[in-house]
Amino acid sequence: MPDRAADDGVRLTEHADLHGCSCKVGQGDLDALLREAGLTEDRDELLFGVGEDAAARRLTDDLALVSTVDFFTPIVDDPYDFGRVAACNAASDAFATGATENLDCLVVLGLPGELTDSAAPILAGVADALDEMGGVVAGGHTITSPWPFAGGAVSATAAPEDLLTARGAAPGHRLYLTKPLGTQSAMGALRVRDDEFQGVVAEAADRPVDRVGEEALAWMTTPNRAAAVACRGTATAATDVTGFGLAGQARVLADRSGVGIEVTRLPVIEGTESLSALFGYGLEDGEGSETSGGLLLSVPGPRAAGLESRFDDAGVFYREIGRVTDGEGVTLRDPELEPVSR
Amino acid sequence: MTRVDVRGEVCPRPALIVRQRLSELEAGDELLVRGDYPPAERNLSRMCRKRGFAVEKTDGGTAGDDFELLVEVTEGAEIPEA
Repeated sequence: MPDRAADDGVRLTEHADLHGCSCKVGQGDLDALLREAGLTEDRDELLFGVGEDAAARRLTDDLALVSTVDFFTPIVDDPYDFGRVAACNAASDAFATGATENLDCLVVLGLPGELTDSAAPILAGVADALDEMGGVVAGGHTITSPWPFAGGAVSATAAPEDLLTARGAAPGHRLYLTKPLGTQSAMGALRVRDDEFQGVVAEAADRPVDRVGEEALAWMTTPNRAAAVACRGTATAATDVTGFGLAGQARVLADRSGVGIEVTRLPVIEGTESLSALFGYGLEDGEGSETSGGLLLSVPGPRAAGLESRFDDAGVFYREIGRVTDGEGVTLRDPELEPVSR
Repeated sequence: MTRVDVRGEVCPRPALIVRQRLSELEAGDELLVRGDYPPAERNLSRMCRKRGFAVEKTDGGTAGDDFELLVEVTEGAEIPEA
């Protein structure tokens, strides 16, 4: 956390202008790029691919290989913590498709020359996070880069019938989210260190900014694996909440499933709702960018109680945040902002 | 018209700087904001509009990532405390 980073004199976030999943290329630009490159068609070789959180290939009748890659710029200053967040975030794309077994990660790492000393703690963070998720670091690739970045190419397996995409939401389903929102605001507040504005930020947060940051880090390093295992057999569609924010990711779900989504509740890390208002990040509209966010799940009503019971047993955070309609796009119905503290 | 240049500043600092300048203004005043950090344009517009200020993108600041926003202090605007 911040104190440890300050002691070392290394502040990773000062070496990049965009932080965490905020560095993700915008949804519209990405869609245009895929169209221009002719990569929008489904491929017969794959169960699913472009447009989903990860790609899946059927290897045998009862085994599918899921692969994905994700990397980003520092969202926290401490190299070890950055490695943990990067690993959780990269693996999350595999978990969002339901693939939780045989987890391997090839580490993707880029650092400017002056941050070479950070390489080892970043890698240690990645390795420890993978270990916690039951996975292994299987290799990687490291380059010199003006902006630091870290992440990984992740592979995992699942039974083909257990795989989830963003295409399985249907009208009447309930929507669940497995982490509170607000990582962007929490991390933004930690980057304000000058005397001029620190007081304004502290006053807005209404609780210690470091505490808000610690909770955000705890959520960003909480793997989505337990949530993915718990929702197997109940959820029919899933994605994970990332740089597009909750509203953006819900839009992906709505578009790919051909449904509408109504959001009625927004669980947020306590303190981030007022920080977002101060920074103009749009958290209250579900527009704040998230890093290593939770799973967004579409669940048929009759299965909802069973899912909640399994989440409770597994100690997974969850909130029902809305419903799926026969409309289109994403609508926020005066959502209730629920502050969540750990 | 008051001007503020937040070029070279990275979020969330542009919002904090603009907020500070808005606290010095009164209804009817205008603030011209020049920035160059792409996400700041959306964040600044949102921060100001949510507080009831009128925000308009001007033709200025077309070089590179530069942008220019004209913020008008409306009668109903919630002016931040200094």
